Amino acid sequence: MTTAKQFEKQDTQVIADREPKSGAELLLESIAAQGVETIFGYPGGAIMPVYDVLPKYKELRHILCRHEQGCGMAAIGYARATGRTGTAFATSGPGATNLITAIADAYLDSVPVVFFTGQVPSNLMGTDAFQEVDIFGMTLPVVKHSYIVRDPADIPGMVAEAYFIAAEGRPGPVLIDLPKDVANAVTTERHKWRPYPKQKPEMGQSADIEAANELIRNAKKPLFYIGGGIAQGDGVKELRDLVERTGIPAVSTLKGLGSLPSDHPQYLGMLGMHGLKAANFAVQECDVLIVAGARFDDRATGKLDTFAPHAKVIHMDIDVAEIDKLRKVTVGLDGSVKKNLAALNPGKPDCQDWLDLCYGRREEFEWDYKGAQENAAPGVYAPKLLYDLSRKADDSAIFTCDVGQHQMWVAQHCYFDDPKDHITSGGLGTMGFGLPAGLGAQLGAPNRTVITVSGDGSIMMNIQELATLNRYGIPLKIVLLDNSVLGMVRQWQEVFFDKNYSEVNLDDNPDFALVAKAFQIDAFTVNTADEMEAGIDRLLKTDGPVLMHVKIDPNENVWPLVPPGRSNADMMER
Amino acid sequence: MTELQRDKTFEPSGVQGKLKIVLHDVSGTLIRALGTIERRGYDYRDVHCTQRVDGDFDLLVHIEDTGGPSNLDTLCKQLERLYNVVSAEKVGRRKHAEHA
Repeated sequence: MTTAKQFEKQDTQVIADREPKSGAELLLESIAAQGVETIFGYPGGAIMPVYDVLPKYKELRHILCRHEQGCGMAAIGYARATGRTGTAFATSGPGATNLITAIADAYLDSVPVVFFTGQVPSNLMGTDAFQEVDIFGMTLPVVKHSYIVRDPADIPGMVAEAYFIAAEGRPGPVLIDLPKDVANAVTTERHKWRPYPKQKPEMGQSADIEAANELIRNAKKPLFYIGGGIAQGDGVKELRDLVERTGIPAVSTLKGLGSLPSDHPQYLGMLGMHGLKAANFAVQECDVLIVAGARFDDRATGKLDTFAPHAKVIHMDIDVAEIDKLRKVTVGLDGSVKKNLAALNPGKPDCQDWLDLCYGRREEFEWDYKGAQENAAPGVYAPKLLYDLSRKADDSAIFTCDVGQHQMWVAQHCYFDDPKDHITSGGLGTMGFGLPAGLGAQLGAPNRTVITVSGDGSIMMNIQELATLNRYGIPLKIVLLDNSVLGMVRQWQEVFFDKNYSEVNLDDNPDFALVAKAFQIDAFTVNTADEMEAGIDRLLKTDGPVLMHVKIDPNENVWPLVPPGRSNADMMER
Repeated sequence: MTELQRDKTFEPSGVQGKLKIVLHDVSGTLIRALGTIERRGYDYRDVHCTQRVDGDFDLLVHIEDTGGPSNLDTLCKQLERLYNVVSAEKVGRRKHAEHA
């Protein structure tokens, strides 16, 4: 059987008399043909035919993680550090469901990853067979596209299309579900897949550039609002050039960090719920907001109808469905962010008073690390540690992090000069992301320093990946900020739930340094501020994987904080 | 019905509309399109699907918003970015429930 009705309709041609190969062989051959070098995976029953032939494909390096969620997140870290498409394998049933969080993470952060799952044999699909789940159906809301393979002859075309779809336009995850009988079946046929049937418009320059130029030229309080689309669209150089040509200040989303260097003279900081005051005030007061590769996420905007209330909006996004989705724009620039940024040439608007106001505020609200550390003494003030660490680390260091207070401290206090230097779960907010993403990033960028900042809640969600670090000698540097509490939840309970601390206490945590050592990972603990500098030096100088366990104050909070459902102007402070 | 505490920005506005969606006959496309409509904040009032002579499907759906941003133009763009959805467009006049 080498024909399938669904493909006949798409003018699929059959090429016969090719070398006989199994579906599993065609799969791996097709993956290698896409230039894939590294696969993060975990074997199991339904995907065993693929693992059976995997050793034949020496060009494919397989990294055996210790949990499918770890595989998926490592593939995301790899993709984000390299700018290439990640690849992850899992078996059917629980293997596949364990991938779902990673698939959703890739979807919400627009990361190109192709996920492959084994499936029970075709004739058992739909019978509630052992380790059968409808992973195709379960992941429909969180994939860019997905397939079930019905015929091995489709595999080369399908895999090529999957990698194309994952990376083109706004990137995202693609799933291929491979039934075991299809993986085992040997065929001499190949289906020539159609040229992709939907003609995507060339990602070119918008026709409305001049309208945007005019708006910016006449602005009195212009502001850039930059997001993750800058890096995804390879527009960093063009953004920096435009920002400097226009002299307009800029704020960034969590995903946009590094698009402008943290110390760029026109950069005001991150906006939003835990944004810096100078950044949030600038957004609230600007009269023209130039949004580049950002999507008005609620964590960035606060209460939407109070966001940038005086601003006319220019919105650049490669995904036309984002324009006018949440905020009506004055000028929408669809197509390539890179090309649109390069084409904009409004000159320098006359707005010196505005610049003085923005930069004056940035100076006024500058973080007092020294004072805060003195207040925290003898304990460690985490923002100071992160500030010092990121400035002592190599300029090209990559930071991955988990989710919670430490994630916001990384965003607020670490130095970034390239958006690929900051790998965080921005959209889904996945605890447990940092460690596997860090190991994936380190494998993708072996010559760079990769530092994972995690919390004591988050790290326990994928701590098994310490074994993966040890197995492959991956020199990831882990900073574990341990306040023995689910810090962000505790903070919200303190501030918004009348200090009703419900189920956040983690004071029975294990000794994390001992845990790391049990995985044969070098580890040490920093208890007080006066051990901080030596700890950072040891962390950075250690050659192999290392974990620095840092005890911090459980009562320390992340400031400023915009209460949910409130305007970004309503920032709470310590 | 129990009143929920939520952002009034996204109160149901009673926006109704009819969409015509053209789909390739590829497995999963119909459920992908219908799922997108529901996930983006709309209820179905009526659904018709017929096959065309070229093998594609015309899907006609009459929908009403359930409290999302309620922008049918955005919904059409979200549908069009699905693979194997050929086109999505509003048909007929958009109206509010109270005027229907």
